[in-house]
Amino acid sequence: MNAHDSHSPADSNTGPEPFVGQSVRRTEDLRLLTGQGMFTDDAVVVDPVYCAILRSPHAHARIVSVDTSRAQAMPEVVLAISGAEAAEHWTQIPAGMDLMDMKLPKVYAIATDKVHYEGEPVAAVVAETRYAAEDALAAIDVEYEPLPAVASVEDALGVHPFDAPDGPWSPKAVLYEEWGHNIQCDWAFEIGDPDAVFASAPHVVSCRPAAHRYSGVPMETRAVVAEYDAGRETLKMRVSTQLPHQSRTLIAQILGLSEPNVQVLADDVGGGFGNKTQVDAEVIPALMAKLSGRAVKWFEPRGDWLSSGPASRDYAHHVEGAFDNDGTLLAIREHLVGDEGCDGATRSAGLGALLVGGTYSAGPYHVRSYKARVQAVVTNKAPYGAYRGYGKETANLAIERLMDTAAAKLGIDPVAIRQHNLVREFPYEMAAGPIIESGSFSQLLDMVTEAMDLPALRLRQEQARAEGRHVGIGVISFLEPSAGSIPMSVFNGYETASVRIMPDGKAMVLSGLQGIGQGVETSLAQITADRLGLHPGDVRIVYGDTKAVPYGLGAYASRGATYGMSAVYEAAGEVRRKLLKAAAGMLEVDPEDLELGRGEVWVAGVPTTRLSVQEVARAVYLSPGPYATLPGEESPTLEANHVWTNPNVSWVPDEHGRVRLYPTHGSGAQGVVVEVDVETGEIQIEKMWIAHDCGKVVNPAIVHGQIIGSTVQGLGGTMFEQLSYDDQGKLLTKTLNDYQLPNIMSVPPIEVLHMETPSPITPLGTKGVGEGGCIGTPAVLLSAVEDALREFGVTVERTPLDPMRVRALVRNAPQTAPVAG
Amino acid sequence: MAESKTTITVSVNGTEHTCQVAPRTLLVDLIRDDLRLTGTHIGCEEGICGACTVTVDGELVKSCLFLAVQADGKDVTTVEGLTPKCGTSRLQESFRGNFALQCGFCTSGMVVAADALLRENPDPSEQEIKEHLVGNLCRCTGYLSIIDAVRAAANQEVTS
Ligand code: FES
Ligand code: FES
Repeated sequence: MNAHDSHSPADSNTGPEPFVGQSVRRTEDLRLLTGQGMFTDDAVVVDPVYCAILRSPHAHARIVSVDTSRAQAMPEVVLAISGAEAAEHWTQIPAGMDLMDMKLPKVYAIATDKVHYEGEPVAAVVAETRYAAEDALAAIDVEYEPLPAVASVEDALGVHPFDAPDGPWSPKAVLYEEWGHNIQCDWAFEIGDPDAVFASAPHVVSCRPAAHRYSGVPMETRAVVAEYDAGRETLKMRVSTQLPHQSRTLIAQILGLSEPNVQVLADDVGGGFGNKTQVDAEVIPALMAKLSGRAVKWFEPRGDWLSSGPASRDYAHHVEGAFDNDGTLLAIREHLVGDEGCDGATRSAGLGALLVGGTYSAGPYHVRSYKARVQAVVTNKAPYGAYRGYGKETANLAIERLMDTAAAKLGIDPVAIRQHNLVREFPYEMAAGPIIESGSFSQLLDMVTEAMDLPALRLRQEQARAEGRHVGIGVISFLEPSAGSIPMSVFNGYETASVRIMPDGKAMVLSGLQGIGQGVETSLAQITADRLGLHPGDVRIVYGDTKAVPYGLGAYASRGATYGMSAVYEAAGEVRRKLLKAAAGMLEVDPEDLELGRGEVWVAGVPTTRLSVQEVARAVYLSPGPYATLPGEESPTLEANHVWTNPNVSWVPDEHGRVRLYPTHGSGAQGVVVEVDVETGEIQIEKMWIAHDCGKVVNPAIVHGQIIGSTVQGLGGTMFEQLSYDDQGKLLTKTLNDYQLPNIMSVPPIEVLHMETPSPITPLGTKGVGEGGCIGTPAVLLSAVEDALREFGVTVERTPLDPMRVRALVRNAPQTAPVAG
Repeated sequence: MAESKTTITVSVNGTEHTCQVAPRTLLVDLIRDDLRLTGTHIGCEEGICGACTVTVDGELVKSCLFLAVQADGKDVTTVEGLTPKCGTSRLQESFRGNFALQCGFCTSGMVVAADALLRENPDPSEQEIKEHLVGNLCRCTGYLSIIDAVRAAANQEVTS
């Protein structure tokens, strides 16, 4: 990858090259590489105390009593508090989303009467040292009355919804008595008379793809530094969050503070991946700061993250496809059931992922008849949160496994059946509602199969088979909806930007986005630099400070390139207009005759008649000032604000019950070659290919990094990572020894192929990027392993693909492989 | 009860510090909280993630598994100590040029570990890089750019 150094602008006398489209080196990196980043726990505060949280050892229990007196009496303990005591000082956690008639648990951040998962907070301590705070937890006496633990969907409902979608339910126990059952949300819609299409279709195929529980596991756990000023009634909080503004709203509400009195700061965030999009335990140190009058530091121990952080996946599909004889997909019936743990809408935001999964199960394929039912079930496990993919990988697993199943049943080549059904004309309104605004799906699939040299691979596979080796090839397509905009939620659809040129000619951009590793500072500076004729090094990007930045929505759903960039582009465009107008006045020419670049503005064709941006800026602000330089302008300084929204989002359900939650759609195709050792169950990934299209690319090296990073996360989740629970709802994977993240040895060669199909709905043609590898990788790996085990006649439709499961597949196979000759 | 403290003398990035530490104080807490060198991070406190990697007398150590008192009389180097007064080291520059970091949380530990490798083995193969960095987890990059960055830095080292 060729890096373009942002401090050595190209020297040429022709028009300046745009920075957009170049791999400009990241602004963020200098501080991060030298140990000068500012992650939440790095902040120095005066005379801090340290917070520790006592967590329930039971998955489901009534709290009989909590006695903090022994802890409170310990010498270095400043304050120890139970849930009941805390409840006098705050409200229940407000829901992050409330739509589709979902049920919302009424819970406090520290449990009061009942715990719903192993790891739920029951008390908290602040002490002079972190060691003392953790010691004090052991001195808090809690009496529990254990209740039957609901550890699975079967426990929660008494019957699996695939067998009896409407019950009757006979739950082992009910988590929230007032609901009377354990279903948080049950959503269904249909269009195009799918049952009739199925009744007359030549072929009906079905499968039940499923994924186990895993999550984002950012390297930095959740963290807070909270300072309360009783005199001013203000709260200043550093939070490791993807949503500074919504965090401020929710925290202010919970603590009963006036929102302008709360400041949320998030400088460097050590990974998010969707996992830092809620306010849950974060509010505990804030309350402790308010009650103790001391600055409170809290960072979540890794074990606490694993037992109480937002979990993801853990769903099962029953998906059916009606096909014509030539492989044309005629209709889809999709039934998706998710094990949400204790909650997916209040403590955490995972419920929406299941709705997205049910909406997008046609993937990038054309189909006009569609029916979906989504059931979100609660169990006694940690909350269900957002994680990279957010239901798009759920949808992808359904449709891609369905395509492979259909290909096998109809005797059609798996690539050919996909090519036959891919959407080719845009804009395309999906049967489920969303509008795919542009794409090159078929070309992407071609790119992958050509790069793989599929015919040669198939030959090699044959030879391997003859030697008794089990080589498998997987090829899939994927759709990557981006910029999720969920109404009635903190994940709404707009972004703000404020762009200013300062009197010294340099620019400042305030953005509502949040940096979490995706290079926001660099790419927004590239866009602004092009608009204002500056160098990216002269553009300062400010985010992560609710006191500085207009209300914006932060980082989630790959929304930066759609919402954030567009807002900055439009605001910078308005500043550009005013800059040129002022310069034109000073040079006594028409603004249309001016060109702008490399910090200067000049008359086209007359390069000697020029001013620096600094000269113009100084003239506008100070000498002589706006009366002379921007006469008649309504807002006569070099500043502009913009809020970007998009009409392709529609949130009022139409007559079919459909909504549109994603305005832009990236896409791609993936290929993989694996070899399975049927004795050990070991899967060797030889190579992966991924062709990707996220529209106009602002910084190719950053995009490349997002694709590789997401692919490796998809691989880790599919093969190694597991949040696994026993049948009593006890977590078995409490350390990173048990929860195995991919390491540097786990990564196969990955070839990335790029393509740019601009989005017609964003001013730059950009679409979101960052989730693609997480979306397609599970399906392509399952596909390849099934292909490797073809002679055993096994169906591979569940993750994890760990050696134990692979061995079991082979052991229980309907056929035994012929012994190699 | 407040713990009894021991006095230790430790040199960190070339500066000698005399500190009072409780016997159970971890080296990482001494580095971060007492000396305020916050480039060294904590990702697990279990010795698995490598975010807390430093060197003690030149040897790689996970400072979350190392007591501060064990560092008495020793030389500790953190990422701050590998950073030149002005600008960045060749290795750091290579990480930047290869986009080998995203959120940057693992990066300090990665840089410390890779620097130790290059000191020992100025021209490591891809396999040697992987073996050496297997104890440093990165959740963002997918590692390939990190391998490229270390190789590129090594090549410069060798050719210069
Ligand atoms: S914090 Fe030391 S290895 Fe993870
Ligand atoms: S860059 Fe984020 S963990 Fe490595």
